[in-house]
Formats: sequence, C-alpha cells, structure tokens
Amino acid sequence: MNPFNVAVAVARKDLRSEWRTREMVPALAQFIILALLIANFGFQIDSHNAPSIAPGILWLALVFAGLVAFGRTFAAERDQASLEAMLLTPASPVAIFAGKAIAASLLLIVCEAVMLPALSLFFGTPLGADMVAAVLLATVGMAALGCLFAALVARVRARELLLPLLTLPLWIPFIIAGGQAVQSAMGLPGSYPEAIGLLIDFDILFVVLTSLAARFVLDE
Amino acid sequence: MSVIVANGLTHWFGNEHALDSVDLVVDTGEHVAVLGENGAGKTTLLRILATAMRPTSGRLEIAGLDAHRERRRLRHYLGYTGHALGLYPALSAAENLEFFCELQGTPRSRIDEVLEAVGLAATAKRRAAQLSRLILDEPDASLGSDAAELLARVMDGRTVVLATHDRALANRLCPRTLELRHGRSVGTATRLRVVK
Repeated sequence: MNPFNVAVAVARKDLRSEWRTREMVPALAQFIILALLIANFGFQIDSHNAPSIAPGILWLALVFAGLVAFGRTFAAERDQASLEAMLLTPASPVAIFAGKAIAASLLLIVCEAVMLPALSLFFGTPLGADMVAAVLLATVGMAALGCLFAALVARVRARELLLPLLTLPLWIPFIIAGGQAVQSAMGLPGSYPEAIGLLIDFDILFVVLTSLAARFVLDE
Repeated sequence: MSVIVANGLTHWFGNEHALDSVDLVVDTGEHVAVLGENGAGKTTLLRILATAMRPTSGRLEIAGLDAHRERRRLRHYLGYTGHALGLYPALSAAENLEFFCELQGTPRSRIDEVLEAVGLAATAKRRAAQLSRLILDEPDASLGSDAAELLARVMDGRTVVLATHDRALANRLCPRTLELRHGRSVGTATRLRVVK
C-alpha cells in the first residue's frame, strides 16, 4: 500500500473527527484571542513599540497553542486504544506519523488564520504575505517535532509535563528565525530573506530527522 | 500444516513473570481457545502472537516467518481485537472500516459482506478487511447474547486463537484449548466429539 495514501487517510480521518467533534480548534482559537487580549492590556502598546513587542507575543501564543495541538494528536489515539490498532496494520509507521503531523499542522494553521488578523487588530501591526509565509514555514518544522515528541510521550504517565520539556528546546531555532522574519516583515531592521532561508533549512532538517526517528518511536 | 509455532515464549513485566515458557502450535484453519484466570497471561500471550509486543525470550514463527523480524509482512494477514475496540467514535462504522481497509491494504469491496455478516449492514454501507488469522482477546466481552453465533460466523474458515474466561464459549467455538495459570501452560485439551 502506498505510504502517500496512508498519510492522506490518517490526515483525513483526524480532520474529519475534529470537524465532527470540534474539540480542539474552537478552544485553541479562543485561547489565542485571550492571550493576545491579555498581552494587549498587559503592555503599554503604542505605534512605536508595537513592532518589537508583537512578534514576541505572536510566538508565545503560537508555541503554547502548538503544544496543546500536538499533545492532543496522539492523546485521542491513546484514549481509544486506536494507535495500536493502526500500528498493527502493515501500513508504514512513517506514513502514519506523516498523516498525524499533516492533520495537526492544518489544525494549527486554522488557528493561525484567527491569530494573525487578531494580532493586527490588537497591536496595529501590518499583516502581509511575508509574515504569513514566516509563520507557515515555522509551523511545518514545529509540527514535525511536536508530533514526534507527542508520539514518544503518548504512553508515558507524565506526558503533559514531558512534552513541553522535550519540545520547547528544539523549537527555539524556529522561534529565533521566525521572530526575526516577522520583525523584518513589521518594518524592524533585519534580513527577511536570511531568516526565511534559515526557516526552510530547519524545516528540511527536522522533517528528515523526525521521519527517520518516527519508525523507531512508533513501531518499537 | 502448522501456521503458528511458538517455542518457550517467556515475558517479564519488571520483576513479574507474565509468561513462563509457553509452547503453542496451531494448524491452518484451527480454532484454539486460551483459558485462564485474570493475570494468567492470556492477554500477554495474545499480544505476542499478534506482534503487538516482543517476548522477553522464546521464538515465534507465523506462516514460517519470524514474527518479530517480519512483523510488517505478517500484519497483512493478522487481525487482533484487544480489550479496547480501537475505533474512532466520531466516525461511522463504515468510515472506521474504510480507514482500516486503507491501512491494511484490503480492497474496500468486502465491507458490505462483512457488515452483513456481523449484522451492521443497515447502519453502514461499505467494505471490510480480509483477515485470515485472528487473535481475539475476550471478543465476547462487548457483544450481546448472540455472541457465540456471531463469533462462529466471523471465525469460519480462519485460523483463530482467542482468549476468554468463558469455558462454555471456548468449548463451543474451539475444538482445542490451552489453559494458562500464573503465566504457565498447565496443559492443552481437545474437545471430544460425540459420534452417534
């Protein structure tokens, strides 16, 4: 069986389940709006300091939303004992992992579609294609890493604690490069092409590494 | 011809001995029931047979292949139902079957037939997986009073190892039983057929 078809089937199944239950996206979107709202009240924002404060708030909200989104990816499978049912099929564990990562990324992208306009609204920062591209590129690598560690801790008792401890250090490169790209997109000094190049490099590196590791994490 | 050959299967969970040198040979098309009290090692044995876990020691061959090294290949032909159903509640019965058909590489054209066999045709209208060797862990636990008939239909023509507490069900469905106590095999029995 074709690994691509397996990945598509897994992603379709996850998205269909989320569409019917609406467990995650509304809660995450609400969380993001609340985080931006609190930051808006917490900082003295004006037109001068908004471009330097807004990127930090954007990445903080995105990181915590991502932790919840990727943590849930395998939690639902664990609750239904369906992860084992999937792994006991001849389907490639890497394809199953890819399907889960694609679905989780798409759900996070839906949340980002709420977050970016809200950021622009609350902080008065510009919302352009360059900023969207930076956030989407960061999402790819963060999803690959987040899903891998979510799979790793899915069978562990202290998974809620372990997931951030394992994931956050490896997300730092995305936050640095993504933060730089978003700051440049908001008009602060910094090389946007260089930051985007770094994000693409990190994406390739971590997608390849997590694909190689997924087989051992899921199947062993 | 023997399709499942297990030699000296032993498994430890930490300091606890779950299986102690269990041997089992199952021929093609044979139905074998694994009996035993809670904690006797039935689930551990079945999970090892289903390639869901590796024994601490011992050797298992299924269809002449090493069950650990060739597990991906074997999973085309193995079906395992554990205590939990492993289904997605947000998806319909047909959608669940379609999803697992995709993963199993089974043609979807069999879903109707299988749904009909288990009495679910009215609620779901598509195909199902073709599994010729079944490992069933207390399959009667979530079924109604017609469990035995339903299971007999599903097991027909397949090689099956099932675990149950229900000795009557085991005797009805399986001509051969393997009894476990504290992880050890305490013997096998063959049901005698009364011939008039």
